[in-house]
Amino acid sequence: MKSRTIWRWDPVRGEYQPGPARPLEGTGEISAIDAFRNNTILLLGCTGFLGKVVLAMILDRFPELKHLVVQVRRKKNISGEQRFYSDVLLSPPLRPAVEHIGERTAREKIQVVEGDLDQPLCGISAEHLKRLRGKVGVVVNLAGVVDFDPPVNESFEPNVYGTQHLIELTKLLDAKLVHVSTAYVAGKQNGRISEDTPIPGYFPRRGERENEHFSVPEELNWYEQFVKETRESRTTNPRPVRERLREGGMQRAAYWGWTNTYTYTKSIGEQLIARTPGLSYAIIRPAIVESSLRCPFPGWNEGFTTSAPLVLMGGEGVKGWPVRKDGPLEIIPVDIVAAGILIVTAAVLCGKHKHVYHLASADQNPIMLPRLVAFLGMNSRYKHKHKKSGSRLANIWKAYVETQVITVESLQARRARLHRGLEVIHAVLTLGKTLFGGERVGPFLKSLRDTRRQIRAQEITLDKFLPFMFHNSFIFVTRNIREAARMLTNEDLRRLKWDPESIDWADYWVNIHTKGIEKWIRPVFTVKKAGREF
Amino acid sequence: MNKAAFYDLDGTLLSCNLVTMQAYYARNHRSVLKSAYQFTKVLVSVPLFFGLDLYSRSLFNIFSFRAYRGMHRDRLIGLADDLFEVTLKPSIFPQAETLIDTTRELGYRNVLVTGTLDFQVRPIALHFGIDEIICNRLEFKNHIATGRVLPPLLAENEKARSIREYAAEENIDLTQSCAFSDSSADLPMLSAVGQPVATNPTRRLRRVAVEKNWPILELRETSTNFPPFLSVAKVH
Repeated sequence: MKSRTIWRWDPVRGEYQPGPARPLEGTGEISAIDAFRNNTILLLGCTGFLGKVVLAMILDRFPELKHLVVQVRRKKNISGEQRFYSDVLLSPPLRPAVEHIGERTAREKIQVVEGDLDQPLCGISAEHLKRLRGKVGVVVNLAGVVDFDPPVNESFEPNVYGTQHLIELTKLLDAKLVHVSTAYVAGKQNGRISEDTPIPGYFPRRGERENEHFSVPEELNWYEQFVKETRESRTTNPRPVRERLREGGMQRAAYWGWTNTYTYTKSIGEQLIARTPGLSYAIIRPAIVESSLRCPFPGWNEGFTTSAPLVLMGGEGVKGWPVRKDGPLEIIPVDIVAAGILIVTAAVLCGKHKHVYHLASADQNPIMLPRLVAFLGMNSRYKHKHKKSGSRLANIWKAYVETQVITVESLQARRARLHRGLEVIHAVLTLGKTLFGGERVGPFLKSLRDTRRQIRAQEITLDKFLPFMFHNSFIFVTRNIREAARMLTNEDLRRLKWDPESIDWADYWVNIHTKGIEKWIRPVFTVKKAGREF
Repeated sequence: MNKAAFYDLDGTLLSCNLVTMQAYYARNHRSVLKSAYQFTKVLVSVPLFFGLDLYSRSLFNIFSFRAYRGMHRDRLIGLADDLFEVTLKPSIFPQAETLIDTTRELGYRNVLVTGTLDFQVRPIALHFGIDEIICNRLEFKNHIATGRVLPPLLAENEKARSIREYAAEENIDLTQSCAFSDSSADLPMLSAVGQPVATNPTRRLRRVAVEKNWPILELRETSTNFPPFLSVAKVH
C-alpha cells in the first residue's frame, strides 16, 4: 500500500520529519555489481530462512551476476538438485525473483552441487571440486544448526566440525570465506559489544576466570571424551543419553559464560576460522533475525527459531513478561541481514573487508522491550475479542487485561501460585472422579492435563529466551557494516540498503512481523502440535 | 494516460462516527479503571461535540484531533485493526465494495483521499483492496501525539490540490477520472475531475449536483443504480 505524504517517520526521535531521507552517498571503493559480475560465489545453506532471502535478493537485484554455485544436501532419496528446484526455487520468497528474471535464466545462472557439511570438504565430489577450483572467488556459508539446546553432538557436528570442513574446502578452492555466525557468541555480557575483540581464545567469563585459557583443541578433546563416556554409561545410567548430552552441552557452555550450546559451538567455529593462517575471511554476526521488511515481500518468515514462539505465546494471552525495562531486543529484519551479507561479500571480493561484522539494529535504532510487551498485549486484545471458540470468560480476561513487565522473582512467584491453584483443582477433580465416576469428571481432568502441559511448554520457551530479555542487555556495535556500506557505489546503494535506522518499529511489529508470523508460522506450528498429540 | 477514481471516506464509503471512535480508545485503555474514567469523559463530551459541530466545522475538526493528545503512537497503530473490526467495519455501506470493484475492473486506479488519520485508513484500504492513500497524519513528539495534525491539513481545497499533484506525478488524466464524495466540503475535489459523483449526498451537495447535472449515487441502499459511465462495465 502506498501512502502519499511529504512526511517521513524518524523512529529514534519519535516524530515525523519533512521530506524523504537523503540517500547515502558511497565512495565507490567497493563495487558490488563488478564483484558479482566477475566472480563465482559458492553458497552453502541456501535452503534455510536466511539463505532463501539472500538468494532471492542477489537474483532479483543483480542481473549482472555471473555464476552462482549452491551446495545442497541430499535428503533421503531426494537428490540435492531436486531439493533445490522444488524446495528452494519454487518457495514463496523466491517466487517474485524467479518470475522477474525468468525460471530459465535462474536455472542457467545457478549450478547445484550436492554436498554435506558433515563430510570432509563439505561432501562435494572430487569431480565438482576439480571444476570449481580456482573459479570460485568466495565461499559464503549460511548453514548451521540454530537450535539453542540440542544434544551437544547435534550442535558440535555442524557448527564446529562443519566449519572445519568449510575451512578445508575454502583453502582447497583457493577462495575467500564469508561465514555467518551469531552476535550472541558474545555470551553473558552487558553493554555495548565491540566488533574488535580478538576471536581466538575468547570466552565470555574471561573477567572472572583470569587464570584459565580457552583453547579449541582442549574443547574438542572434552567433547570427544564426554560423548564417549556418556554413550558408554548407557547401561549403568538410567537417564536417556540424549537428555544427558543436552545437559552436558549447556553446562559446558555455562561454565565458560555462554548462554547455550548454540552460541558456544558457534564461537568455537569462529575461533577455528580465525586461527587458520593465510585465510582471507569475514565473520558475520547477525542478531535475532526476524520477518522481512520489504524483500521478497513484507512479513516473510519461516521456521520456529526467532521470536516467533514469543509472538505466538503473546497471542495465546500470556500476561506477565519478564523483561528489562531499559533493555532493547536486538532484532533485525531478514532482508536487511541479507543486504548486509551481500555488502560484506562484495567487500571481501574487493579485499576491503574487516574480520567481524555485527548485523543488528539497537546501535542505531533500538526497540525497547517494554514496547514489545505492550504490542503483544494489543495483539492478544484484538485476537481474543473476536475469538468465537474457547471459554468466554477466559477470552474476556485475555482481551481486556493488559500485558505487564515483571521481574524474574515475581514470575517465579506467579508460577508457584498458578501451579498450587492447578494442584488444588486437580485434587478436587480426582475426588469428584471417585465420587461421581470417571465418565462425568474425566473430560475436565483431560482438559486440565492439556492446560498444564501447555503452561509447562510456555514456561520452557520463556526460560529459553530469558538470557536475551532479562539476564543480559546488549547493544551490538555495527560500525563495520556502516563503514562498508559507505564504501559502495551509488548504484549499489540503490540495490542494497543497510538502513536499520529507518525502521518504523510500531508499523513493523504490528503490521508486518506479527501478521507474517500468523500467516507463515502459526499454520505450520499448529499442524506440528496436532501431529504430536495423535 | 491513466485514469483514477478518487474516494472520500467518511460518509461516502462508511460512516465513521468520531464519537464511537473516541469511545473505542477510551474503552481500550491499558488499565481497566482508566478505561472507565476515560469512557465517562467521552460520554460527558458528546453534547459538547454536537454543539461544536453545529457552530463551526473547522473548530470541531481541531477539537476532534485534540482528543488524541497524550496517546502513544504504538497504541494507536497497535489497536488500529481492532478499531476497524469494532467500529468501522459494521458501518461500511452495503454497496461500497461493489462500487470499488467496479471502478477497479474498469481500469481506474482507486485512491482514497480522506481527512481520516493514516493508521485508521490502513485497515480500511486493505479491506477494500485500495492501494493508494492520501490522508492526514498526527504530529508526534517523542512518540506521543501532540493533538495537532501535520500540515497540510487535508480538507476542502487541499484535497483538490493534492489530487492535481498526484495526477501530474502519476500521469493521470483528470478529465477521464472520477471522484466520489458525500459532502459539499469536497466540491473542489469533485469539480477537479471529469466524472464527479455525489455519493449519499448531503442536502447542500444534492442541490449542487442537481444544478450541475452530476449523477447521484446512494450506497446506503442495498440495491442502487450506478451512473451510466460505470454501468457500462457491467454489460461486459
